[in-house]
Amino acid sequence: MHNHDYPGKLVVIEGTDGVGRSTQVEMLQNWLQVEGFGVSTTAWKSSQLISKVIEKAKEKNALNTITFSLLYATDLADRLHSTIIPALKAGHIVLADRYVYTAFARDVVRGADSTWVRKIYDFAIKPDRVFYLKMPLDPLLRRIITTRGGLDFYESGRDIGISTDLYQSFKLYQSQIMFEFERMAEANRFITLNAEDPVEAIQKVLRRELGTLLMDETLSGSIVRS
Amino acid sequence: MKCFTQSPTKSTYCPDMRLNKKHDFPGKLIVVEGVDGSGKSTQLDLLRNWLISRGQSVIFTEWNSSRLISKTIKQAKRSNSLIPNTFSLLHATDFADRLENIIIPALKAGLVVLADRYCFTAFARDVARGVDREWVRNLYGFSVRPDGAFYFQVPIEVSLARIANSRMPGYYESGMDMGLSSDPMQSFQIFQSRIINEYNQMVDEYGFYTMPATQAIHEQQVLFREHATKILNLT
Repeated sequence: MHNHDYPGKLVVIEGTDGVGRSTQVEMLQNWLQVEGFGVSTTAWKSSQLISKVIEKAKEKNALNTITFSLLYATDLADRLHSTIIPALKAGHIVLADRYVYTAFARDVVRGADSTWVRKIYDFAIKPDRVFYLKMPLDPLLRRIITTRGGLDFYESGRDIGISTDLYQSFKLYQSQIMFEFERMAEANRFITLNAEDPVEAIQKVLRRELGTLLMDETLSGSIVRS
Repeated sequence: MKCFTQSPTKSTYCPDMRLNKKHDFPGKLIVVEGVDGSGKSTQLDLLRNWLISRGQSVIFTEWNSSRLISKTIKQAKRSNSLIPNTFSLLHATDFADRLENIIIPALKAGLVVLADRYCFTAFARDVARGVDREWVRNLYGFSVRPDGAFYFQVPIEVSLARIANSRMPGYYESGMDMGLSSDPMQSFQIFQSRIINEYNQMVDEYGFYTMPATQAIHEQQVLFREHATKILNLT
């Protein structure tokens, strides 16, 4: 990944399924817009080009590790080109709900070579800030089961056959994902937030951190406020 | 990155990757490569019929044909809005899907797999399109190394003449996405020359059998069968 020198800022929110990323992104977006910033959001697996292919393949549970990796990389490549880079060029703050780190964590847990995956995502832009919403397994499981009415096949890593018991499989899979995230958080200086805290408390920290980032940028003139 | 630092003239990219090691499946994998109009598909088709007539179990797979994604690729090409990395990744996805669902199971079952184009097509085309040489080799590092890779070598003029006789080259086929020239035929010429140049560099890197694709169909086929006989240990 390379550093960008576009006028905008790329801010990433990472974390496993169910930690409340999209809620936080939405609140940030509203706040930034009220503050007069141009904001764009982009979610994992949302490109026009490929998101439907991913959905269909997942429905059939027909994906192997490599194809799985490559579909997501294609999705991001398309969004970078069609959404993220144009927005950064226009001086927007781009809020990304998940980014390459999700792929690094998942693909490696699924058995892909970590150098291989990282090298593929070389085309991506290095974010200006990465927030990691972290939640211990037990509360995460309770939250997912109550809000989504059950566990998802892939989010439970059932495709890699760690256990035929969905609950056990979820626990094993997600704990490996978390291990990968924590390693990256340390190496890449993510700002780690406790996802068990109240939504407003998390939002407050996010705004404070973004405020610092944007204050400097507004003063240096690269971010334009309307 | 530790395994991408060596010179690009021999296959030194990530020596640990599957592409750079001999496979140990019971089946055999034969691939044909070359630009459009080089006659490789005709030759592969003839070889396939001959192998079947000799009692071999053969399956055939071609570039951009997976059930998962080939339609998406065709649609995306129509809109002419792909950047080179996305283009690469789409084809790699198609290839990964076919490798896992068709090629590897067939090799495990001891079949002869004939592939019309393989990862080398991406190495030639994507690099000609400006994608990093090492990046695309890493991307396809999961490929199974073929037992025989036949490169149908033609001079650029021959390829151009064969294509131009039958149809107008497509937008991506002529590299129009790179703005080489506003004239499709001229753009095609520049782009195809770059592809041929990449292929020629791969002859040593991956040990291609170079086929004299300007010779008569029959002569080429005799040569092709001769090599295939050795690769497949036929008697």
